[in-house]
Amino acid sequence: MNIRRLVCGGLLLFPVALAAAGDRARNLEMHEVRGGIVKPFAAGAQASVVFFVATDCPVSNGYAPEIQRVCREYSGRGVGCSLVYEDIDAAPHSPKLLQQVRAHLDDFKYSGIPAALDEDRAAATVAKASITPTAIVVNRDGEIRYRGRIDNLYVALGKMRQQVTSHDLRDALDAVLAGRPVPHPETESIGCFITDPALLRTHAHD
Amino acid sequence: MTRCRFFCLLALAILLVILFRPETAWPQEARARSATPVAASGSRVTFAETIAPIVYTNCVTCHRPGEAAPFSLISYEDVAKRGALIAKVTAARYMPPWHATHGYGEFADERRLTDQQIAAIGEWVKQGMPKGDGAKMPKLPEFTDGWHLGKPDLIVEMPVGYDVPAAGPDQFRNFVIPTKLTEDKWVRAVEFRPSARKVVHHAIFSWIKGGAAAARDGADGKPGFPGIGVALPGAGDSNSGALGGWATGGTPAFLPEGLAARLPKGSDFVLQIHFHLSGKPESERSLVGFYFADKAPERTLINIDAPPLFAFGRALDLAPGAKDAIDDSIVLPVDVRTYGVAAHAHYLGKEMKADATLPDGSKRPLLWIQDWDFNWQDSYTYKQPFDLPKGTRIDVKVVYDNSTDNPRNPRNPPRRVKFGLQSQDEMGAVTLMATARSKEDEQALATLLGERARSAGLAGFKNGDLARIQQFLRVAEAPSERITLVDRQGASVATMGEPGLFAQPAFSPDGTRVAAVLTNRDSGNRDIWIYEAAGKPGRPLTADEEADSTPVWSPDGRQIAYVRADSDANGIYLRSADGASDGSARAELVYKHTTGAPLFLTDWSSAGLLSFWTGDSIYVLPLKGDRKPVELFKGRSGRISPDGRFIAYSDNNGGGPMKTYVRPLNLSAPATEAVQVHDGTALGGLVWRADGKALTFTSLAGLQVSGVWQVEITETPTLAVGRPQMLFKPVGVGTPAQLSSFATRDLERFVTVVPLR
Repeated sequence: MNIRRLVCGGLLLFPVALAAAGDRARNLEMHEVRGGIVKPFAAGAQASVVFFVATDCPVSNGYAPEIQRVCREYSGRGVGCSLVYEDIDAAPHSPKLLQQVRAHLDDFKYSGIPAALDEDRAAATVAKASITPTAIVVNRDGEIRYRGRIDNLYVALGKMRQQVTSHDLRDALDAVLAGRPVPHPETESIGCFITDPALLRTHAHD
Repeated sequence: MTRCRFFCLLALAILLVILFRPETAWPQEARARSATPVAASGSRVTFAETIAPIVYTNCVTCHRPGEAAPFSLISYEDVAKRGALIAKVTAARYMPPWHATHGYGEFADERRLTDQQIAAIGEWVKQGMPKGDGAKMPKLPEFTDGWHLGKPDLIVEMPVGYDVPAAGPDQFRNFVIPTKLTEDKWVRAVEFRPSARKVVHHAIFSWIKGGAAAARDGADGKPGFPGIGVALPGAGDSNSGALGGWATGGTPAFLPEGLAARLPKGSDFVLQIHFHLSGKPESERSLVGFYFADKAPERTLINIDAPPLFAFGRALDLAPGAKDAIDDSIVLPVDVRTYGVAAHAHYLGKEMKADATLPDGSKRPLLWIQDWDFNWQDSYTYKQPFDLPKGTRIDVKVVYDNSTDNPRNPRNPPRRVKFGLQSQDEMGAVTLMATARSKEDEQALATLLGERARSAGLAGFKNGDLARIQQFLRVAEAPSERITLVDRQGASVATMGEPGLFAQPAFSPDGTRVAAVLTNRDSGNRDIWIYEAAGKPGRPLTADEEADSTPVWSPDGRQIAYVRADSDANGIYLRSADGASDGSARAELVYKHTTGAPLFLTDWSSAGLLSFWTGDSIYVLPLKGDRKPVELFKGRSGRISPDGRFIAYSDNNGGGPMKTYVRPLNLSAPATEAVQVHDGTALGGLVWRADGKALTFTSLAGLQVSGVWQVEITETPTLAVGRPQMLFKPVGVGTPAQLSSFATRDLERFVTVVPLR
């Protein structure tokens, strides 16, 4: 196979792969932890925000009030919110994890925001989220327009600003709602790693 | 083919970008791995044999159920599911937390992993985190659940729980707990047991003379009081003393070598807790245990601090963007034995370094913190106490960063910061904990430290450091007040707004609204607020970081003029009275007064003249034309009559008692004869009735306002005053020379600021 054909083939496949990833995200169905189905990346709303969090991640926990503020303030502008929990347990389909997430929703006063447990990392994979907290903004067509931090409160783990100077998520939402391009569509999240549960299961008995 | 060439090249470019751009999906992990030196190459690293011993020795003191750390690291699963995170934070040496530079002083309980341990963790994560042979797992260390040091001799508890909110900036809260001790005690250890460990970051213990801080506890309606300083713990101060502290991960310990700290009878224990909010509301009610010695120790632990009083008196003044340092040296007058060291600064502190130079010229490093984190105010105990001979010079340097390079800077853009007790102010010192060999040596050391503190105190008195702290404490201790409208008999008819700390209230010309200065109890900052109706909360007219004062209403009630203390001058600004409730309405600068002397606006006349006084001279400033102020004559509190022909004011005629006068106002002619309105001492409180035929004023007895009066003004044939009539004896008029319209234009209602207790 010569390089030209490879490259030309790549060119043809590339948009298809992107569209497929977009479709996979848009069509992703998850179980809401209190019952029902949630489609976090679905098209339809003016915009949607998906927050990747974990019950034991102090960084995403510290953001709970800001997540709630963003959801409350933008709900009037047609923005939907959902939480995707990246908790992990060595045992697959552990009922413990579901209980943990439900208790966490109560403890941190999340109400009215659908929440799902991403046990097989399907959501993290399609959204390319590797850190909690990460915010994903999806436009009305179900296209991912922002991926990254909520704001720049954290400079590094354990090193926080006294004052937030860049509200990246809100800026992204404002841009998407106004039909403008998002100024910084990708920012670096600081927080806890999202771990593949398979890794834990593979080596647990080595 | 040709078409494909273009698109193929484009596609190649896209693919190259995709293939060779930095891996964005796992950037942090990739970096953590590359920063980790490879461990003994090729050898298999397992949890059971290598990682568990590291974690059990270094992490589980905090990372276990019920402790402060956010998650447990007890089981294989606990650790493995956070393997990447652990590799990253250990490689960055963020965990375990330790802020002193390794090798710069040798400390007990140094929380530090070796390079080999860090490499092993990285390698283990790289190998996929194998568990290994469970039989080879070390035993989990045993932890004491109750009091670590055994049953305390005295246990005190916070009387009520303090509600810690879910979110917001870190809080520093002081709780004053009476010890009820009937005799002096000597404290060998203090053990602290917080109830909400997830939010209690650290605690600092001290005692204060019984009752001395009690007034502040609860002044804002919640248990305790905010702030990070109770009093300046000066050397030789017999009214307060330090008793150590606790930080996340710390275990209580007895002072070494039989040492003990004094806790006087009847003193109050002050528990200062730093709360780091977690996203979830909590309630904290701490228990504190004291362990006493049987008798007074032979030697007293002495704090050798440099600079003394945490740099009080050094006129610390950090300009925006400044990266300044302060340094200080002390030569030991006697031999000392050194046990530990602590450093302190607030958010702008960047680096602290302390070195000893012995008389023989040899050097001994004492402490070096290179990236100061206010959240980790550890004190560091030396592995072995060591002696420093008489004549040793101790050099201390504290470096600040007031630029945007410092992410902890509370202000963005940065602002000028001076010495002060609150976290947005600055201070700094390194403190060495030591003993002397004999009572005589102790005395000599205490004398030197006392002299240093006294000269710092004197410097602070002269350069304004003291005045600023006193002002802060006045605010912190002041009981809340309420804006209260009273009638001509002084009887309360209505209140406005929420309780707060108010000054300089002023009625709008139609008498329906009040503008007043509201002091923020936490920051000490002052803003102008507007109160529109009885019983309703107010709204901010200004919301800046400068101190705003002396609001006066425009004659049509649509604008407010006020004074803002900018860093270079006192500026007079105008703002729409109906401006946005968040204080964002644009302010127009009309005049800058650059002498640095305080300036008080007292009137806005119907002819468009502002009247202010500064340095005991009255000025008027025409808002039309060139806006150049005209100095009228000596005096304060100028108030122009409704028709603009007369001005009422007060003056002490160069040092005598204050008197109040009325005279014709003529900007172009020399000052004319004044008529005194009252025989007694009278200052300010001047409001003309709408018809210009009556005037209120306030009398003084000593420095206190003793009465609100009214006097008739006539001008047939010449300017004359009637017989003054006292209306009522007021509560809460404040400083009357700084008032503008404290009465309505019919002189029927007066606005006062009444303390709630």
